[in-house]
Amino acid sequence: MKKLVIVSLMVFSLLIGSSMAGAQEKFPTKPIEVVVPFAAGGSTDVLARLVAKYAPKYFDKPLVIVNKPGGGGVTGTEGVVRSKPDGYSLYLGYGSGHDLVEPHFKKLPYETFVDLLPVCRLSVHSICMIIRSDAPYKTLKEFVEWGKKKDQVTGSVSTRAGSVDITLQAFGKSAGIKMVTVPFRGGAESVTAIIGGQTDCGGNHPSEIISHIKAKRLIPIAVALDARDPAIPDVPTFKEVGHNVVTAGSVKGVAAPKGTPPEVIQYLTQRFKKVCDDPEFILDMKNIGQPVMYLGPADFEKFLKQGFAEYGKLIKEFNIKLE
Amino acid sequence: MSEIFALFQGLANGFGIAFSLTNLTFALIGALLGTAVGVLPGLGPAATIALLLPLSFKIGSPVTSIIMMAGIFYGAMYGGSTTSILVNIPGEAASVVTCIDGYQMALKGRAGPALAIAAIGSFIAGTIGVIGLTFVAPPLAEFAIKFGPPEYFSLTLLGLMMATLLAGTSILKGLIMVVLGLLLGAVGLDPISGEVRFTWGLLMLQEGIDFVTLAMGLFGIGEILYNLEKELATELVTRKVSHLWPTLKDWADSRWSIVRGSLIGFFIGILPGGGAVISSLVSYGIEKKVSKHPEEFGKGAIQGVAGPESANNSAASASFIPLLTLGIPGNASIAMIFAALLIQGVTPGPFLISERPDVFWGVVASMYIGNIMLLVLNLPLVGMWVQLLRVPYAILAPVIVLFCCIGVYSIRNTVFDIWVMGVFGVIGYLFRKVNLEPGPLILAFVMGPILERSLRQALLISAGSPLIFFKRPIAGSLMGFLLLFILVQIIVTLRKRWRTGPPSGA
Repeated sequence: MKKLVIVSLMVFSLLIGSSMAGAQEKFPTKPIEVVVPFAAGGSTDVLARLVAKYAPKYFDKPLVIVNKPGGGGVTGTEGVVRSKPDGYSLYLGYGSGHDLVEPHFKKLPYETFVDLLPVCRLSVHSICMIIRSDAPYKTLKEFVEWGKKKDQVTGSVSTRAGSVDITLQAFGKSAGIKMVTVPFRGGAESVTAIIGGQTDCGGNHPSEIISHIKAKRLIPIAVALDARDPAIPDVPTFKEVGHNVVTAGSVKGVAAPKGTPPEVIQYLTQRFKKVCDDPEFILDMKNIGQPVMYLGPADFEKFLKQGFAEYGKLIKEFNIKLE
Repeated sequence: MSEIFALFQGLANGFGIAFSLTNLTFALIGALLGTAVGVLPGLGPAATIALLLPLSFKIGSPVTSIIMMAGIFYGAMYGGSTTSILVNIPGEAASVVTCIDGYQMALKGRAGPALAIAAIGSFIAGTIGVIGLTFVAPPLAEFAIKFGPPEYFSLTLLGLMMATLLAGTSILKGLIMVVLGLLLGAVGLDPISGEVRFTWGLLMLQEGIDFVTLAMGLFGIGEILYNLEKELATELVTRKVSHLWPTLKDWADSRWSIVRGSLIGFFIGILPGGGAVISSLVSYGIEKKVSKHPEEFGKGAIQGVAGPESANNSAASASFIPLLTLGIPGNASIAMIFAALLIQGVTPGPFLISERPDVFWGVVASMYIGNIMLLVLNLPLVGMWVQLLRVPYAILAPVIVLFCCIGVYSIRNTVFDIWVMGVFGVIGYLFRKVNLEPGPLILAFVMGPILERSLRQALLISAGSPLIFFKRPIAGSLMGFLLLFILVQIIVTLRKRWRTGPPSGA
């Protein structure tokens, strides 16, 4: 009965979705499952669902988003790695913390760059350092001065050893302040903590904080990217203000399991590109604070490996260890 | 003055939107689905909303899709108590305490009044919650975000202690169950460092034990195993179905419980991350404390159903406040609604009322209507549910086992979880044999991870000083209240022993 309800709900939503699908091609003869290894409602999930909303215009079969949260993303990603390499099971979020950061600390049950094939990059979620607008400091410089007088400053982060955690710790080392990061359950909870004044600063992706910046509750003070983030173009990079904290951010791409046929990958790449070129999609993405940053498979792979090396360098240079 | 006028004008416009045929239809669909997923253990409102998200794009209008999703969310709170009362299986965490007295009422042939008072209480509480959402949302939301890790720790500890010390007959047995629950809650990934704990190398345990698996094993399967021993078990439940509706006395007994539960639920529900479970605990504790006959609790006191069931419903309505006024999603279902709004180009937050008054007021108004729909839907169901109890136990029991297996399997699609449920079923049976009440265990299991996380977060913030729990005003008051509560409890117990001579047991 329970199962029946789930199945009928799924069929229901699929029917509605597939009614838009057009002529048949060789590859997709059934809906494509897109696994988001994070909880529903998070920034990766919202991205995936927005892509799925536009997908029926360009894909011959609908994309079905499945959230498989757990283990910081490893659980859901492993599921895709172990699934049949036929293109019907994809991973969205390739380039997140558990791909680029976690392997520097511990071994994963799969090889991130061997067991997964890059399909394309969709977006990059930069890491933006934020402070409360009613705090006694308003800029990065004032924050550092204030922090140096303290025994410790606290920063809320979404998860231990994630990209945000590494960024804040690296900044603490670079600025010479003792940064204690406090992990919460995901980005939404960590934003709540900084707004409520529980911690002295925080780090989040622009899409998680853009409404609070608009409401003047939070001030964004620096972005940990090589160049400014198009989602928040007024915010300087760490490099601009004298701290060498550069990361690839949290990269959001699509991957397929190793062994997926090249023509299937090609189909997927082309169709995702069409979604990324859709002006309405670009506008919707802009409204939720996520820049569309499409890259094809070859460039994406290069970018990921570079990003991985960059995090490694940051961790080594600032001697970041997990407690 | 003009502000109040604007408020009523907004609400009037909202009713205009909510009363359109489309919106009424989707509110009804939401209420129906919500009731269904609330009754069925396993599939919760968050999963249902996730499955229906693609549909919301097709609906097109954000107001209409959010009206439906909100309906699923608060509708599930109505259905959650049904299985607790009928077969002692909590449909969700917020209905665990309802098992204690609700099932006892069913055993005494009073399932009808229990279900009816749960539905009526839910309606009153849901409406009080929406009234609160209409009039006092913004200032209260500002207060609620001041709740940080130290406050959550104190509040959760207080709720757990109140429910444990007051629920059972023996404090020692209660504490044993709490400790077991806390230990079970620690299985899986460490919430702060991400290290793996107590999994015996089993990958399936890495995510921890699921609440539904544990609850259905300990309560449902355990209860059935226990009943198998008794030949006349059938008659226990089925013979004496006296009257269907609450008597005047029931109503007189529970009306203030409903009001208190509604208020408790509302204030705890506003807290991001707080919500339905804690409020049902606190409500149960308070009902027992203020009752003139606390000895009836645990033996079928209607207040023990009315209070917590009202509390979890007004908490559900109140959890919309941080979402709609601050853009902060407080629980998994609300997070799904948050995502649905974002995808449709609506940003929940402080500007929602001015930028999209149609969404804000349309959804708020629909919640008044939805609660009426749910009452009308649920009251006739009472008769049907009670009829279910007339089914011979030899048929009912295997059906319950089957439902439990399917429900547990559907969570992660693994047979492993069914084995876990079986193991806890045997443990639940043994608990019954030695008269250990599983309620505190499962509550501690739910609260344990919250306690641990907030404790460690607070200590990280304070650089290791426990004074943080006493120096901050809200946390300090809660802690003071907790200490006072324990002290009173000790004095009462000692005085009782003094009078009755040496204790005969724990």
